[in-house]
Amino acid sequence: MFLELTEEQKLIQETARNFARSVLEPLAPKLDREGDHPAFLANLKKLAELGFMGLNVQGEYGGSEAGVVAFSVAMTEIARACASTAVTVSVNNMVCEVIQAIGSQEQKEKYIPRICSGAYAAGSFALTETGAGSDPAGMTTTAVLDGDSWVLNGSKIFITSAPYAGVFVVWAVTDKEAPKGKGISCFLVEQGTPGLVIGKQEEKTGQHASATNELVFDNCRIPKDALMGKLNDGFRIAVAELGGGRIGIGSLALGIGLAAMDYATRYSTERVQFGQKISSFQATQWKIADSYTELEAARLLLMNAAFRKESGRPFAKEASMAKLFATEAANRACYNAVQMLGGYGYTADFPVERYARDVRITSIYEGTSEIQRVIIAREILKNIG
Amino acid sequence: MKILVCIKQVPDMESRFRPNGDKTWYDESDLAFRMNEYDEYAVEQAVQLKEQLGGEPEITVLSIGPERTVEAIKKALAMGGDRAVHIRDDRYYQKDPWQIASMIASYAKGEGFDLIFTGMQSQDRGSAQVGVIVAELLGIACATTLVGFSYDGGTITAKRELEGGIKGVAKLKLPALVTCQLGLNTPRYPTLPNIMKAKKKEIASLTPAELSGEAELTATAAIYPPAKKGGGLVLEGEIGIQVDRLMGILKEKTAVLR
Repeated sequence: MFLELTEEQKLIQETARNFARSVLEPLAPKLDREGDHPAFLANLKKLAELGFMGLNVQGEYGGSEAGVVAFSVAMTEIARACASTAVTVSVNNMVCEVIQAIGSQEQKEKYIPRICSGAYAAGSFALTETGAGSDPAGMTTTAVLDGDSWVLNGSKIFITSAPYAGVFVVWAVTDKEAPKGKGISCFLVEQGTPGLVIGKQEEKTGQHASATNELVFDNCRIPKDALMGKLNDGFRIAVAELGGGRIGIGSLALGIGLAAMDYATRYSTERVQFGQKISSFQATQWKIADSYTELEAARLLLMNAAFRKESGRPFAKEASMAKLFATEAANRACYNAVQMLGGYGYTADFPVERYARDVRITSIYEGTSEIQRVIIAREILKNIG
Repeated sequence: MKILVCIKQVPDMESRFRPNGDKTWYDESDLAFRMNEYDEYAVEQAVQLKEQLGGEPEITVLSIGPERTVEAIKKALAMGGDRAVHIRDDRYYQKDPWQIASMIASYAKGEGFDLIFTGMQSQDRGSAQVGVIVAELLGIACATTLVGFSYDGGTITAKRELEGGIKGVAKLKLPALVTCQLGLNTPRYPTLPNIMKAKKKEIASLTPAELSGEAELTATAAIYPPAKKGGGLVLEGEIGIQVDRLMGILKEKTAVLR
């Protein structure tokens, strides 16, 4: 048993932390309140140049070959400073990994280097639909082969980075007659393809700089070879790749939770009420103790899931456990942080209200807490009887 | 051209320091370590010079310290160093600047370095002596506290920071040693691919015994935290009385009202 990061992982963590503190953190409040799209994109480009868009991607495609543990610690450090940037980095990594896992040689060589280098600000993962959220196999977007092209029709919702993504990984039904989940395929659709319409941008509670849009496919015609992986095998792929994404989102949530508790804990050693620092009250101490204990447990669950994935072992259950626990612990930590700051915690003069808004989505996107429990229970029960 | 960069791994300066058991160093058991800030300027300047000269110079990174020092060495390699020498020494903190410099000079003597970069000082011990002693032992030119560096045709133009905000310019012919100060450059972030590739770069391992048996010239007698300051003086009572008392204190104990 050796619970230490390697020297490389520590250096990646240090690089992420230094970059996040000096470049991302000063901009985060402005991105949240008024937005500064050019600055947001410029920072994504810098992160790409440092190698953060393909942490678990092979060097021949422009990746860093740093592994999943390094991905997790990097996500946490980036999210401590700016959750909007972190979610974009997490999704970019997931898109690179899904293309690496199932793309043709040509697809890998064409698209992964563009995301890793920052030539594309982002890649998008287009699975969710208005009627297919926790139940993605219920999707209705279709792809029909017509001569040398696939023709896509339908719409997607809550698509991260859609306005500035260079390429979309899109799931669509290719066999309506097949049993549920057995007739879905995966496609690569480039930004600007006629018939691909970037729809309404959602007005979200938090993570404001990260755009979340509707996508509409209106007779969107893509080449026959835009199919990725095997025909009608797409749903299995989506389920497998979401496991990796869950490690990213859990790590992101951990970063927000730590940022909130670090801020609130420092505050508690300065804020005086009843003639003493509020950190001297047991009510405050219990919040500090509970939140840090939960965040540490979250970190260990994430490390375990990441290490299993990196070692090539099954990790779906562990990734779901880590995502479930980390995002809920981070939500509780942010709640406690606001409580510790009292009324000030509810104002925009202090960063904890932003953390509290940014963290809320983490127990919803990339699979809700409820779905994580379904997965965990299924993985446990399938080995019994 | 052969370049040597000497680096040290020091605790993160946000750490809370406590004296160790025999009170001659700080307790290292619960600290996070990183590369000494001034040494990052040294590495960066060496890499910039290598880039200026089209990649020709070979940069060797040297560090003295225990096993954990490898992390700082790898960072220097990821930033652009070519190879490294790790002088493995668990008792490095018991050695004075003379002994540390003697080990470095002993190694460097046979290697024929044209240019040596060091930090201006370490963030923990802060003696600012190692660089200059190495230069003296090797009998080469030396300039300290660089805030500007340029190189052309065998000559270094070094902008130095002097006392009282005054700057000076020194020109040095190679071989030479320079020590680097805050403001010289902005150290690059090592890219992730370079961090991973640094794994494959050579890190030669040496022991102190192979290099120098010099005895210490200065011994650390004690390390202790500064005495806690008093809680200050709180003036109470009517505002007029408080003002009179404050005026009295300022007149008596300071020069502000004179």
